[in-house]
Amino acid sequence: MGLQEVNVHIERGDFCFLVGHSGSGKSTFIRLLLKEFEPSEGTITVAGRNLQRMKRGSIPHHRRNIGCVFQDFKLLPNKTVADNVAYALRVTGVTPRNIRRKVPEILQLVGLGDKMYSLPDELSAGEQQRVSVARAFVNHPSLLVADEPTGNLDPDTSVGIMQLLYRINRTGTTVLMATHDREMVDKMRKRVIALEDGRVIRDESKGLYR
Amino acid sequence: MQFRFFFNEAINSLVRNWVMSVAAIVTVLVSMFVLGLGLILFFNFEQAISDLRNKLEIEVFIKNTASPGDISKLGDQIRAMSEVKDVNFVSKDEALKRLKESFKGHEDVLDALSGNPLPPSYEISLKDPSQIETVAQRFFDNPIVDNSPGTHDGVKYGGETSDRLLKVTTYFLVGGAGFVVLLTVASVLLISNTIRLSIFARRREVEIMRLVGATNWFIRWPFVMEGVFTGMLGATGAAFLVILTNVFLIENVKDKMPFLPFSADVPYFWLVLLVVIGGTMLGSVGSGLALRRFLRI
Repeated sequence: MGLQEVNVHIERGDFCFLVGHSGSGKSTFIRLLLKEFEPSEGTITVAGRNLQRMKRGSIPHHRRNIGCVFQDFKLLPNKTVADNVAYALRVTGVTPRNIRRKVPEILQLVGLGDKMYSLPDELSAGEQQRVSVARAFVNHPSLLVADEPTGNLDPDTSVGIMQLLYRINRTGTTVLMATHDREMVDKMRKRVIALEDGRVIRDESKGLYR
Repeated sequence: MQFRFFFNEAINSLVRNWVMSVAAIVTVLVSMFVLGLGLILFFNFEQAISDLRNKLEIEVFIKNTASPGDISKLGDQIRAMSEVKDVNFVSKDEALKRLKESFKGHEDVLDALSGNPLPPSYEISLKDPSQIETVAQRFFDNPIVDNSPGTHDGVKYGGETSDRLLKVTTYFLVGGAGFVVLLTVASVLLISNTIRLSIFARRREVEIMRLVGATNWFIRWPFVMEGVFTGMLGATGAAFLVILTNVFLIENVKDKMPFLPFSADVPYFWLVLLVVIGGTMLGSVGSGLALRRFLRI
Protein backbone atom coordinates (compact mmCIF):
# COMPACT_ATOMS: atom_id res chain seq x y z
CA MET A 1 0.00 0.00 0.00
CA GLY A 2 1.42 3.34 -0.95
CA LEU A 3 1.93 6.31 1.31
CA GLN A 4 1.29 9.89 0.20
CA GLU A 5 2.26 13.22 1.70
CA VAL A 6 3.25 11.70 4.99
CA ASN A 7 5.17 14.16 7.13
CA VAL A 8 5.97 12.82 10.56
CA HIS A 9 8.65 13.55 13.09
CA ILE A 10 9.12 11.21 16.04
CA GLU A 11 11.35 12.39 18.89
CA ARG A 12 14.08 10.26 20.37
CA GLY A 13 12.66 8.31 23.30
CA ASP A 14 9.02 8.69 22.22
CA PHE A 15 6.37 5.99 22.40
CA CYS A 16 4.18 6.26 19.35
CA PHE A 17 1.21 4.28 17.99
CA LEU A 18 0.50 3.92 14.30
CA VAL A 19 -3.17 3.09 13.80
CA GLY A 20 -5.42 2.50 10.82
CA HIS A 21 -7.31 -0.18 8.94
CA SER A 22 -5.62 -3.03 7.16
CA GLY A 23 -4.14 -1.63 4.00
CA SER A 24 -3.89 1.91 5.30
CA GLY A 25 -0.10 1.88 4.95
CA LYS A 26 1.13 1.03 8.45
CA SER A 27 3.38 -1.79 7.30
CA THR A 28 4.67 0.30 4.39
CA PHE A 29 5.63 3.00 6.91
CA ILE A 30 7.64 0.46 8.91
CA ARG A 31 9.25 -1.15 5.91
CA LEU A 32 10.38 2.21 4.63
CA LEU A 33 12.12 2.82 7.95
CA LEU A 34 13.93 -0.50 7.53
CA LYS A 35 14.89 0.49 3.97
CA GLU A 36 13.29 -2.63 2.59
CA PHE A 37 12.39 -0.42 -0.34
CA GLU A 38 12.80 3.17 -1.43
CA PRO A 39 10.22 5.97 -1.38
CA SER A 40 9.64 7.42 -4.84
CA GLU A 41 9.78 10.91 -3.35
CA GLY A 42 10.83 12.63 -0.15
CA THR A 43 13.38 11.83 2.49
CA ILE A 44 13.46 9.54 5.49
CA THR A 45 15.88 10.10 8.33
CA VAL A 46 16.39 7.54 11.08
CA ALA A 47 18.60 8.38 14.06
CA GLY A 48 20.09 11.27 12.11
CA ARG A 49 20.93 9.22 9.02
CA ASN A 50 19.37 9.98 5.69
CA LEU A 51 18.20 6.69 4.17
CA GLN A 52 18.31 7.99 0.59
CA ARG A 53 22.01 8.64 0.85
CA MET A 54 22.74 5.32 2.52
CA LYS A 55 24.76 2.84 0.46
CA ARG A 56 23.41 -0.66 -0.06
CA GLY A 57 26.26 -2.11 1.94
CA SER A 58 25.28 -0.05 4.98
CA ILE A 59 21.70 -1.37 5.13
CA PRO A 60 22.56 -4.30 7.44
CA HIS A 61 24.26 -1.92 9.84
CA HIS A 62 21.26 0.39 9.70
CA ARG A 63 18.92 -2.50 10.55
CA ARG A 64 20.99 -3.53 13.53
CA ASN A 65 20.10 -0.17 14.99
CA ILE A 66 16.38 -0.92 14.67
CA GLY A 67 14.76 -3.74 16.63
CA CYS A 68 11.82 -5.40 14.89
CA VAL A 69 8.84 -7.25 16.34
CA PHE A 70 6.22 -8.74 14.04
CA GLN A 71 2.75 -10.15 14.35
CA ASP A 72 4.00 -13.58 13.20
CA PHE A 73 7.09 -13.41 15.47
CA LYS A 74 9.52 -14.35 12.66
CA LEU A 75 11.59 -16.69 14.79
CA LEU A 76 14.01 -19.16 13.23
CA PRO A 77 12.11 -22.46 13.64
CA ASN A 78 15.15 -24.72 13.82
CA LYS A 79 16.94 -22.75 16.48
CA THR A 80 16.38 -22.73 20.20
CA VAL A 81 15.14 -19.62 21.97
CA ALA A 82 18.67 -18.82 23.07
CA ASP A 83 20.08 -19.29 19.54
CA ASN A 84 17.36 -17.09 18.07
CA VAL A 85 18.31 -14.25 20.36
CA ALA A 86 22.00 -15.01 19.89
CA TYR A 87 21.64 -14.73 16.11
CA ALA A 88 20.91 -11.01 16.36
CA LEU A 89 24.11 -10.63 18.37
CA ARG A 90 26.17 -12.85 16.08
CA VAL A 91 25.44 -10.80 12.99
CA THR A 92 26.88 -7.77 14.73
CA GLY A 93 30.07 -9.65 15.53
CA VAL A 94 29.59 -9.97 19.28
CA THR A 95 32.06 -12.49 20.69
CA PRO A 96 30.73 -15.91 21.81
CA ARG A 97 31.67 -15.09 25.38
CA ASN A 98 29.56 -11.95 25.37
CA ILE A 99 26.73 -13.83 23.67
CA ARG A 100 26.74 -16.39 26.47
CA ARG A 101 26.50 -13.57 28.97
CA LYS A 102 23.92 -11.36 27.27
CA VAL A 103 21.40 -13.94 26.07
CA PRO A 104 20.38 -15.33 29.48
CA GLU A 105 20.28 -11.77 30.79
CA ILE A 106 17.77 -10.56 28.22
CA LEU A 107 15.70 -13.74 28.45
CA GLN A 108 15.44 -13.24 32.20
CA LEU A 109 14.25 -9.73 31.49
CA VAL A 110 11.37 -10.94 29.28
CA GLY A 111 10.54 -13.69 31.77
CA LEU A 112 11.76 -16.68 29.75
CA GLY A 113 14.86 -17.58 31.73
CA ASP A 114 13.70 -21.18 32.04
CA LYS A 115 12.85 -21.66 28.34
CA MET A 116 16.29 -20.99 26.88
CA TYR A 117 16.67 -24.33 25.17
CA SER A 118 13.11 -24.74 23.93
CA LEU A 119 12.31 -24.52 20.24
CA PRO A 120 9.83 -21.85 19.13
CA ASP A 121 7.13 -24.49 18.38
CA GLU A 122 7.22 -25.61 21.98
CA LEU A 123 6.24 -22.18 23.27
CA SER A 124 2.88 -20.43 23.49
CA ALA A 125 2.21 -17.50 21.18
CA GLY A 126 2.79 -15.02 23.99
CA GLU A 127 6.10 -16.64 24.86
CA GLN A 128 7.19 -16.61 21.23
CA GLN A 129 6.45 -12.92 21.04
CA ARG A 130 8.55 -12.38 24.15
CA VAL A 131 11.45 -14.14 22.44
CA SER A 132 10.96 -11.87 19.46
CA VAL A 133 10.97 -8.79 21.70
CA ALA A 134 14.11 -10.09 23.43
CA ARG A 135 15.79 -10.50 20.05
CA ALA A 136 14.75 -7.03 18.96
CA PHE A 137 16.10 -5.43 22.13
CA VAL A 138 19.24 -7.45 22.80
CA ASN A 139 21.37 -5.10 20.67
CA HIS A 140 19.92 -2.09 22.51
CA PRO A 141 18.78 -0.40 19.30
CA SER A 142 17.85 3.27 19.32
CA LEU A 143 14.51 2.48 17.65
CA LEU A 144 12.19 -0.47 18.16
CA VAL A 145 9.41 -0.96 15.61
CA ALA A 146 6.56 -3.37 16.26
CA ASP A 147 4.12 -4.34 13.51
CA GLU A 148 0.93 -5.46 15.28
CA PRO A 149 2.85 -7.33 17.96
CA THR A 150 -0.33 -8.21 19.83
CA GLY A 151 -2.34 -9.11 16.72
CA ASN A 152 -2.18 -12.85 17.41
CA LEU A 153 -2.42 -12.71 21.17
CA ASP A 154 -5.28 -12.79 23.65
CA PRO A 155 -5.89 -9.60 25.69
CA ASP A 156 -4.12 -10.77 28.85
CA THR A 157 -1.02 -11.87 26.97
CA SER A 158 -1.11 -8.62 25.01
CA VAL A 159 -0.92 -6.65 28.22
CA GLY A 160 2.26 -8.52 29.11
CA ILE A 161 3.86 -7.66 25.77
CA MET A 162 2.78 -4.02 26.08
CA GLN A 163 4.34 -3.83 29.52
CA LEU A 164 7.53 -5.17 28.04
CA LEU A 165 7.52 -2.57 25.27
CA TYR A 166 6.75 0.13 27.80
CA ARG A 167 9.72 -0.91 29.92
CA ILE A 168 11.94 -0.88 26.86
CA ASN A 169 10.72 2.61 26.06
CA ARG A 170 11.63 3.71 29.59
CA THR A 171 15.26 2.80 28.93
CA GLY A 172 15.30 5.59 26.31
CA THR A 173 14.51 3.49 23.26
CA THR A 174 12.10 5.04 20.78
CA VAL A 175 9.15 2.67 20.23
CA LEU A 176 6.89 2.79 17.19
CA MET A 177 4.01 0.33 17.27
CA ALA A 178 1.49 -0.31 14.52
CA THR A 179 -1.69 -1.76 15.99
CA HIS A 180 -5.42 -2.43 15.74
CA ASP A 181 -5.75 -2.83 19.48
CA ARG A 182 -8.16 -0.06 20.45
CA GLU A 183 -8.21 -0.82 24.16
CA MET A 184 -4.45 -0.78 24.43
CA VAL A 185 -4.06 2.54 22.64
CA ASP A 186 -6.74 4.18 24.75
CA LYS A 187 -5.22 2.87 27.98
CA MET A 188 -1.67 4.01 27.22
CA ARG A 189 -2.52 7.62 26.23
CA LYS A 190 0.57 8.02 24.05
CA ARG A 191 1.08 9.75 20.73
CA VAL A 192 -1.20 8.33 18.02
CA ILE A 193 -0.65 8.69 14.28
CA ALA A 194 -3.68 7.54 12.29
CA LEU A 195 -3.33 6.53 8.66
CA GLU A 196 -6.05 6.10 6.07
CA ASP A 197 -5.47 5.25 2.41
CA GLY A 198 -1.83 6.13 2.76
CA ARG A 199 -2.35 9.59 4.28
CA VAL A 200 -1.98 10.83 7.84
CA ILE A 201 -5.48 11.79 8.97
CA ARG A 202 -4.66 12.48 12.61
CA ASP A 203 -1.54 12.99 14.74
CA GLU A 204 -2.14 13.65 18.44
CA SER A 205 0.02 13.36 21.51
CA LYS A 206 -1.76 11.48 24.31
CA GLY A 207 -4.32 10.43 21.72
CA LEU A 208 -7.07 7.80 21.55
CA TYR A 209 -7.69 5.10 18.95
CA ARG A 210 -11.14 6.34 17.90
CA MET B 1 34.57 -14.53 10.41
CA GLN B 2 32.77 -16.72 12.87
CA PHE B 3 34.03 -19.94 11.41
CA ARG B 4 32.57 -22.30 13.97
CA PHE B 5 29.11 -20.83 13.71
CA PHE B 6 29.07 -21.02 9.89
CA PHE B 7 30.53 -24.50 10.05
CA ASN B 8 27.74 -25.72 12.32
CA GLU B 9 25.07 -24.04 10.21
CA ALA B 10 26.45 -25.71 7.07
CA ILE B 11 26.64 -29.14 8.68
CA ASN B 12 23.10 -28.83 10.06
CA SER B 13 21.81 -27.96 6.64
CA LEU B 14 23.67 -30.86 5.02
CA VAL B 15 22.17 -33.28 7.50
CA ARG B 16 18.66 -31.86 7.23
CA ASN B 17 18.70 -32.21 3.42
CA TRP B 18 20.58 -35.47 3.53
CA VAL B 19 19.04 -37.11 0.47
CA MET B 20 20.08 -34.32 -1.87
CA SER B 21 23.41 -33.99 -0.10
CA VAL B 22 24.17 -37.66 -0.65
CA ALA B 23 23.20 -37.39 -4.31
CA ALA B 24 25.53 -34.44 -4.82
CA ILE B 25 28.35 -36.09 -2.86
CA VAL B 26 28.08 -39.26 -4.93
CA THR B 27 28.18 -37.30 -8.19
CA VAL B 28 31.31 -35.49 -7.13
CA LEU B 29 32.73 -38.82 -6.02
CA VAL B 30 32.12 -40.45 -9.38
CA SER B 31 33.52 -37.58 -11.42
CA MET B 32 36.59 -37.22 -9.24
CA PHE B 33 37.06 -41.00 -9.28
CA VAL B 34 37.13 -41.03 -13.07
CA LEU B 35 39.57 -38.13 -13.02
CA GLY B 36 41.75 -40.01 -10.54
CA LEU B 37 41.70 -43.21 -12.59
CA GLY B 38 42.68 -41.22 -15.67
CA LEU B 39 45.56 -39.73 -13.76
CA ILE B 40 46.71 -43.13 -12.58
CA LEU B 41 46.67 -44.52 -16.11
CA PHE B 42 48.54 -41.44 -17.23
CA PHE B 43 51.19 -41.89 -14.56
CA ASN B 44 51.59 -45.54 -15.43
CA PHE B 45 51.90 -45.03 -19.17
CA GLU B 46 54.03 -41.98 -18.71
CA GLN B 47 56.51 -44.05 -16.77
CA ALA B 48 56.48 -46.79 -19.36
CA ILE B 49 57.03 -44.27 -22.12
CA SER B 50 59.94 -42.58 -20.48
CA ASP B 51 61.45 -45.98 -19.69
CA LEU B 52 61.27 -46.82 -23.35
CA ARG B 53 62.70 -43.50 -24.40
CA ASN B 54 65.60 -43.88 -22.05
CA LYS B 55 66.44 -47.27 -23.39
CA LEU B 56 67.19 -45.96 -26.86
CA GLU B 57 68.14 -49.26 -28.22
CA ILE B 58 67.62 -50.58 -31.69
CA GLU B 59 66.62 -54.18 -31.98
CA VAL B 60 67.18 -55.73 -35.36
CA PHE B 61 65.38 -59.05 -35.77
CA ILE B 62 66.85 -61.50 -38.20
CA LYS B 63 65.00 -63.97 -40.38
CA ASN B 64 65.08 -67.55 -39.12
CA THR B 65 66.22 -68.54 -42.60
CA ALA B 66 69.35 -66.39 -42.56
CA SER B 67 72.66 -68.26 -42.62
CA PRO B 68 75.13 -67.89 -39.74
CA GLY B 69 77.56 -66.29 -42.15
CA ASP B 70 75.08 -63.55 -43.10
CA ILE B 71 74.31 -63.00 -39.45
CA SER B 72 77.91 -62.46 -38.45
CA LYS B 73 78.50 -60.30 -41.53
CA LEU B 74 75.64 -58.04 -40.38
CA GLY B 75 77.24 -57.95 -36.94
CA ASP B 76 80.51 -56.74 -38.43
CA GLN B 77 78.70 -54.10 -40.47
CA ILE B 78 76.99 -52.80 -37.33
CA ARG B 79 80.20 -52.69 -35.34
CA ALA B 80 81.79 -50.70 -38.15
CA MET B 81 79.22 -47.89 -37.85
CA SER B 82 80.68 -44.83 -36.15
CA GLU B 83 77.50 -44.02 -34.17
CA VAL B 84 77.33 -47.41 -32.49
CA LYS B 85 78.48 -47.72 -28.92
CA ASP B 86 77.73 -51.35 -28.26
CA VAL B 87 76.28 -54.35 -30.03
CA ASN B 88 74.86 -57.43 -28.43
CA PHE B 89 73.79 -60.56 -30.28
CA VAL B 90 70.72 -62.32 -28.88
CA SER B 91 70.45 -65.88 -30.11
CA LYS B 92 67.18 -67.80 -30.40
CA ASP B 93 67.91 -69.62 -27.15
CA GLU B 94 68.77 -66.40 -25.38
CA ALA B 95 65.51 -64.80 -26.58
CA LEU B 96 63.47 -67.74 -25.24
CA LYS B 97 65.29 -67.59 -21.93
CA ARG B 98 64.41 -63.90 -21.58
CA LEU B 99 60.76 -64.51 -22.42
CA LYS B 100 60.63 -67.20 -19.75
CA GLU B 101 62.09 -64.79 -17.27
CA SER B 102 59.42 -62.16 -17.91
CA PHE B 103 56.76 -64.83 -17.32
CA LYS B 104 58.35 -65.99 -14.12
CA GLY B 105 55.89 -68.04 -12.09
CA HIS B 106 53.63 -68.58 -15.09
CA GLU B 107 56.00 -70.55 -17.31
CA ASP B 108 53.19 -72.99 -18.11
CA VAL B 109 51.82 -70.35 -20.51
CA LEU B 110 54.85 -70.90 -22.71
CA ASP B 111 54.34 -74.67 -22.90
CA ALA B 112 51.82 -73.95 -25.62
CA LEU B 113 54.66 -72.86 -27.88
CA SER B 114 55.92 -75.54 -30.23
CA GLY B 115 59.67 -75.29 -30.58
CA ASN B 116 61.19 -71.83 -30.52
CA PRO B 117 59.49 -69.33 -32.83
CA LEU B 118 61.62 -66.42 -31.62
CA PRO B 119 64.02 -64.86 -34.10
CA PRO B 120 67.61 -64.03 -33.21
CA SER B 121 68.40 -60.33 -32.98
CA TYR B 122 71.04 -57.68 -32.55
CA GLU B 123 70.63 -55.12 -29.78
CA ILE B 124 72.37 -51.91 -30.70
CA SER B 125 73.01 -49.03 -28.35
CA LEU B 126 74.21 -45.69 -29.63
CA LYS B 127 76.65 -43.06 -28.50
CA ASP B 128 74.17 -40.28 -29.27
CA PRO B 129 70.47 -41.10 -28.83
CA SER B 130 69.43 -38.47 -31.37
CA GLN B 131 70.98 -40.61 -34.13
CA ILE B 132 68.57 -43.47 -33.49
CA GLU B 133 66.27 -42.76 -36.43
CA THR B 134 69.15 -42.50 -38.92
CA VAL B 135 70.79 -45.70 -37.78
CA ALA B 136 67.53 -47.64 -37.62
CA GLN B 137 66.69 -46.72 -41.21
CA ARG B 138 69.83 -48.46 -42.51
CA PHE B 139 68.31 -51.83 -41.66
CA PHE B 140 64.91 -51.22 -43.22
CA ASP B 141 65.84 -52.72 -46.59
CA ASN B 142 68.35 -55.31 -45.46
CA PRO B 143 67.29 -58.68 -46.95
CA ILE B 144 68.13 -60.76 -43.89
CA VAL B 145 66.15 -58.53 -41.49
CA ASP B 146 62.82 -60.09 -40.51
CA ASN B 147 60.54 -57.50 -42.10
CA SER B 148 57.00 -58.43 -43.08
CA PRO B 149 56.57 -57.57 -46.75
CA GLY B 150 56.17 -53.84 -47.29
CA THR B 151 57.03 -52.79 -43.69
CA HIS B 152 60.08 -52.51 -41.54
CA ASP B 153 58.70 -54.14 -38.42
CA GLY B 154 61.91 -56.16 -38.14
CA VAL B 155 63.59 -53.06 -36.80
CA LYS B 156 62.37 -51.97 -33.39
CA TYR B 157 63.57 -48.88 -31.72
CA GLY B 158 62.45 -46.91 -28.70
CA GLY B 159 61.14 -43.99 -30.69
CA GLU B 160 58.65 -46.04 -32.61
CA THR B 161 57.25 -48.07 -29.72
CA SER B 162 56.98 -45.13 -27.43
CA ASP B 163 55.27 -43.08 -30.11
CA ARG B 164 52.67 -45.78 -30.54
CA LEU B 165 52.14 -46.05 -26.79
CA LEU B 166 51.88 -42.29 -26.59
CA LYS B 167 49.18 -42.33 -29.25
CA VAL B 168 47.13 -44.92 -27.33
CA THR B 169 47.59 -42.95 -24.12
CA THR B 170 46.45 -39.78 -25.84
CA TYR B 171 43.23 -41.47 -26.96
CA PHE B 172 42.65 -42.60 -23.40
CA LEU B 173 43.34 -39.15 -22.05
CA VAL B 174 41.12 -37.32 -24.52
CA GLY B 175 38.25 -39.74 -23.96
CA GLY B 176 38.73 -39.60 -20.20
CA ALA B 177 38.94 -35.81 -20.23
CA GLY B 178 35.65 -35.59 -22.12
CA PHE B 179 34.02 -37.87 -19.60
CA VAL B 180 35.43 -35.89 -16.70
CA VAL B 181 34.15 -32.64 -18.21
CA LEU B 182 30.63 -34.09 -18.50
CA LEU B 183 30.68 -35.39 -14.96
CA THR B 184 32.09 -32.11 -13.71
CA VAL B 185 29.20 -30.21 -15.24
CA ALA B 186 26.79 -32.72 -13.70
CA SER B 187 28.35 -32.32 -10.26
CA VAL B 188 28.32 -28.54 -10.44
CA LEU B 189 24.65 -28.56 -11.39
CA LEU B 190 23.74 -31.07 -8.70
CA ILE B 191 25.59 -29.18 -6.01
CA SER B 192 23.99 -25.96 -7.16
CA ASN B 193 20.60 -27.65 -7.04
CA THR B 194 21.26 -28.95 -3.54
CA ILE B 195 22.21 -25.49 -2.37
CA ARG B 196 19.20 -24.03 -4.14
CA LEU B 197 16.93 -26.42 -2.26
CA SER B 198 18.54 -25.54 1.00
CA ILE B 199 18.17 -21.83 0.22
CA PHE B 200 14.54 -22.45 -0.67
CA ALA B 201 13.92 -24.42 2.51
CA ARG B 202 15.38 -21.55 4.45
CA ARG B 203 14.05 -18.54 2.53
CA ARG B 204 12.04 -17.43 5.55
CA GLU B 205 15.14 -17.69 7.67
CA VAL B 206 17.08 -15.67 5.12
CA GLU B 207 14.41 -12.97 5.28
CA ILE B 208 14.67 -12.91 9.07
CA MET B 209 18.45 -12.80 8.88
CA ARG B 210 18.23 -9.72 6.69
CA LEU B 211 15.78 -8.07 9.08
CA VAL B 212 18.06 -8.44 12.07
CA GLY B 213 20.85 -6.87 10.07
CA ALA B 214 22.93 -9.78 8.81
CA THR B 215 25.31 -8.72 6.05
CA ASN B 216 25.08 -10.53 2.72
CA TRP B 217 28.21 -12.48 3.37
CA PHE B 218 27.04 -13.46 6.83
CA ILE B 219 24.03 -15.06 5.14
CA ARG B 220 26.03 -16.55 2.29
CA TRP B 221 28.90 -18.21 4.15
CA PRO B 222 26.95 -21.19 5.51
CA PHE B 223 25.66 -21.96 2.01
CA VAL B 224 29.11 -21.60 0.47
CA MET B 225 30.52 -23.93 3.10
CA GLU B 226 27.75 -26.41 2.49
CA GLY B 227 28.79 -26.59 -1.16
CA VAL B 228 32.47 -26.82 -0.30
CA PHE B 229 31.83 -29.64 2.18
CA THR B 230 29.78 -31.53 -0.39
CA GLY B 231 32.64 -31.26 -2.86
CA MET B 232 35.25 -32.12 -0.29
CA LEU B 233 33.41 -35.18 1.01
CA GLY B 234 32.88 -36.51 -2.51
CA ALA B 235 36.48 -35.86 -3.46
CA THR B 236 37.87 -37.49 -0.34
CA GLY B 237 35.81 -40.58 -1.04
CA ALA B 238 37.07 -40.54 -4.62
CA ALA B 239 40.70 -40.19 -3.56
CA PHE B 240 40.26 -43.15 -1.25
CA LEU B 241 38.70 -45.27 -3.99
CA VAL B 242 41.38 -44.30 -6.49
CA ILE B 243 44.13 -45.42 -4.15
CA LEU B 244 42.31 -48.65 -3.40
CA THR B 245 41.90 -49.28 -7.12
CA ASN B 246 45.54 -48.64 -7.78
CA VAL B 247 46.67 -50.89 -4.97
CA PHE B 248 44.33 -53.80 -5.59
CA LEU B 249 43.59 -53.70 -9.28
CA ILE B 250 46.65 -52.31 -11.02
CA GLU B 251 49.15 -53.98 -8.72
CA ASN B 252 47.27 -57.21 -9.11
CA VAL B 253 47.33 -56.89 -12.87
CA LYS B 254 51.01 -56.10 -12.70
CA ASP B 255 51.61 -59.31 -10.74
CA LYS B 256 49.56 -61.44 -13.08
CA MET B 257 50.71 -59.85 -16.32
CA PRO B 258 54.23 -58.67 -15.69
CA PHE B 259 54.86 -57.81 -19.33
CA LEU B 260 52.39 -54.88 -19.25
CA PRO B 261 54.19 -51.59 -18.77
CA PHE B 262 52.42 -50.74 -15.52
CA SER B 263 54.16 -49.34 -12.53
CA ALA B 264 52.07 -48.74 -9.44
CA ASP B 265 54.54 -46.12 -8.45
CA VAL B 266 52.04 -43.25 -8.39
CA PRO B 267 52.72 -40.00 -6.50
CA TYR B 268 49.81 -40.48 -4.11
CA PHE B 269 50.26 -37.20 -2.32
CA TRP B 270 49.83 -35.11 -5.46
CA LEU B 271 47.05 -37.32 -6.71
CA VAL B 272 45.04 -36.94 -3.52
CA LEU B 273 45.78 -33.23 -3.37
CA LEU B 274 44.63 -32.74 -6.95
CA VAL B 275 41.45 -34.77 -6.51
CA VAL B 276 40.48 -33.09 -3.25
CA ILE B 277 41.20 -29.59 -4.56
CA GLY B 278 39.23 -30.43 -7.68
CA GLY B 279 36.23 -31.60 -5.67
CA THR B 280 36.36 -28.60 -3.40
CA MET B 281 36.41 -26.29 -6.40
CA LEU B 282 33.38 -28.11 -7.84
CA GLY B 283 31.65 -27.47 -4.55
CA SER B 284 32.39 -23.78 -4.43
CA VAL B 285 31.51 -23.23 -8.08
CA GLY B 286 28.22 -25.10 -7.55
CA SER B 287 27.23 -23.12 -4.50
CA GLY B 288 28.38 -19.87 -6.09
CA LEU B 289 26.08 -20.58 -9.02
CA ALA B 290 23.13 -21.23 -6.71
CA LEU B 291 23.84 -18.13 -4.65
CA ARG B 292 24.02 -15.92 -7.72
CA ARG B 293 20.75 -17.18 -9.09
CA PHE B 294 18.65 -17.86 -6.02
CA LEU B 295 19.94 -15.69 -3.21
CA ARG B 296 19.60 -12.16 -4.47
CA ILE B 297 20.20 -10.18 -1.36
